Amino acid sequence: MASCKATDAVFHVDPPPAGKKLREAFYCAHYIHSHIAHFYALAAPDFVMGPTSDPAQRNILGVISKVGLQIGGEVIKHRAYAQSIQASIAGKATHPVGGVPGGMSKPITEEQRKDFEEKAKSCVEFSKFSLKLFNDVVLSNKDYLNLITGPIYTMKSYYMGMVDSNNKVNFYEGDIRVVDPEGKEVAKFKPAQYLEYIAEHTEPWSYLKFPFLKKVGWKGFVEGKDSGIYRVSPLARLNVADGMATPLAQAEYDKLFKTLGGKPAHATLAFHWARLVELLYASERLLELCKDKEITDPKVRTIPTATPDEGVGIVEAPRGTLIHHYQTDKNGILTKANLIVATAHNYPAMQMSIKKAAQGLIKKTKDVQEGLLNMVEMAFRAYDPCSACATHTLPGQMPLEVVIYNSRGEVIETLSQNLR
Amino acid sequence: MKTLILGLGNPILSDDGVGNRIAQELGNRISSQDITVEETSMSGLSLLDLLVGYDRAIIVDAIQTTNGKAGQIYRLTPEAFNDTRHASSPHDVNFATALELGHRIGMPMPGQITIYAVEVADTSNFSEKCTPKVRKAIPKCVNMILSELNENH
Repeated sequence: MASCKATDAVFHVDPPPAGKKLREAFYCAHYIHSHIAHFYALAAPDFVMGPTSDPAQRNILGVISKVGLQIGGEVIKHRAYAQSIQASIAGKATHPVGGVPGGMSKPITEEQRKDFEEKAKSCVEFSKFSLKLFNDVVLSNKDYLNLITGPIYTMKSYYMGMVDSNNKVNFYEGDIRVVDPEGKEVAKFKPAQYLEYIAEHTEPWSYLKFPFLKKVGWKGFVEGKDSGIYRVSPLARLNVADGMATPLAQAEYDKLFKTLGGKPAHATLAFHWARLVELLYASERLLELCKDKEITDPKVRTIPTATPDEGVGIVEAPRGTLIHHYQTDKNGILTKANLIVATAHNYPAMQMSIKKAAQGLIKKTKDVQEGLLNMVEMAFRAYDPCSACATHTLPGQMPLEVVIYNSRGEVIETLSQNLR
Repeated sequence: MKTLILGLGNPILSDDGVGNRIAQELGNRISSQDITVEETSMSGLSLLDLLVGYDRAIIVDAIQTTNGKAGQIYRLTPEAFNDTRHASSPHDVNFATALELGHRIGMPMPGQITIYAVEVADTSNFSEKCTPKVRKAIPKCVNMILSELNENH
């Protein structure tokens, strides 16, 4: 979707209302399937089964065994609903082909709209159920709530995310807002201005760059107001916004910040909770869009007439702010591209979250168990990172190693999983 | 028997697209109405949506093993992947978990799943062509799958 918006900017063209609504509906459906998969397959096992439970059970199979097979069916059904809407609008759910400069390649029919509306209604109910499950399993468990709000998974940083004209969360269109660790707005900019606000630091040990806020500066891997490190994520979006644009999600937004002690919330594990608030928003917004008859207007594209040159497109990807910046020749052939993806924005913070979790969990007097690996993994899995996400992996593995040194720098223990 | 042949891979990532190439070739040579040939770059839970409703599935993919030689072809069953239930990616579940999930929640999963995996050399460079040894394996793998289809028809 960022590339659609970047090509709109390159060709200096604005899609008509139905084109924008179709894109936003497609994008809400994308959020629904992505957030459902992340919560049920990747976050829920840690809380439903327990963060240090047997790894053979700590997966989606363990979760559905515990909460009920019927829930598993609902998970698959609603993911499939969302993907069917995406495929119906844009040809394919993954690697869609519907976006063109100036809008979409085809309109939808009234029959499609009705189908989407029914599916969106069901997604709203499933989102409400998912938040109830989170409340019953996680928030009602004092140990889990302490884990979420405790120091080892907390990091005070700046936050970045997109907001609409009312400063409400928006995934598709708006300004980029940045708040400091105390929640005060320090920047609000248009996509085309991103280079005035974001710079990238490099380290010799990584080929991925480390973005930071240009006006605050790179001060190393440190937290706080003097450090330009910022985070993007579902929780970052909620932190930068004044609220949600739909009623049920707004009520959940209020509850989240009340429980976490106000805005901004710095609890990395609360990314999962924010993800469910956004799941509800995406479902409600999808329903709103599908009830709007204008979405079936056959005019879904404005044909570009200007000579293409350069443009920036920004959207909120499920895991955070996504920036595409293209330069082209006069025929629209790409000559230069710069992408800053959510995982890159969060890369400095991920290093620090991992370190903080490891330091908080490894104690001199405490035996180091296998569960430690998972609890370190939880610190970066909350970011839903893309770095290890190959196109497909049949057997699959996620290598992780924790090496524990004593005060003399001698290795005293090594824990690892899936190392080649 | 309603059969799905599913080529997995990224068609612009050199050898990673070998499953796509084999599926394309099979699609050109198979005309039976009982056999559907598809390609996808999806993984994890998304594969469930594709597999549902078939009696049999033949999945074709790239593989990299410790001592494998490029172009080697392996015929595997899902049980070969049962040793891991751990997340293969921070985004999604792995293939074995997705299959097990489908079975447990009562989805109409194929009763018979066979995996043809081709040992690959390059999955890092952008190219719409496979490397020479992997390219040579494509017609061999196509014939193996056609033979299996003929035997079981």
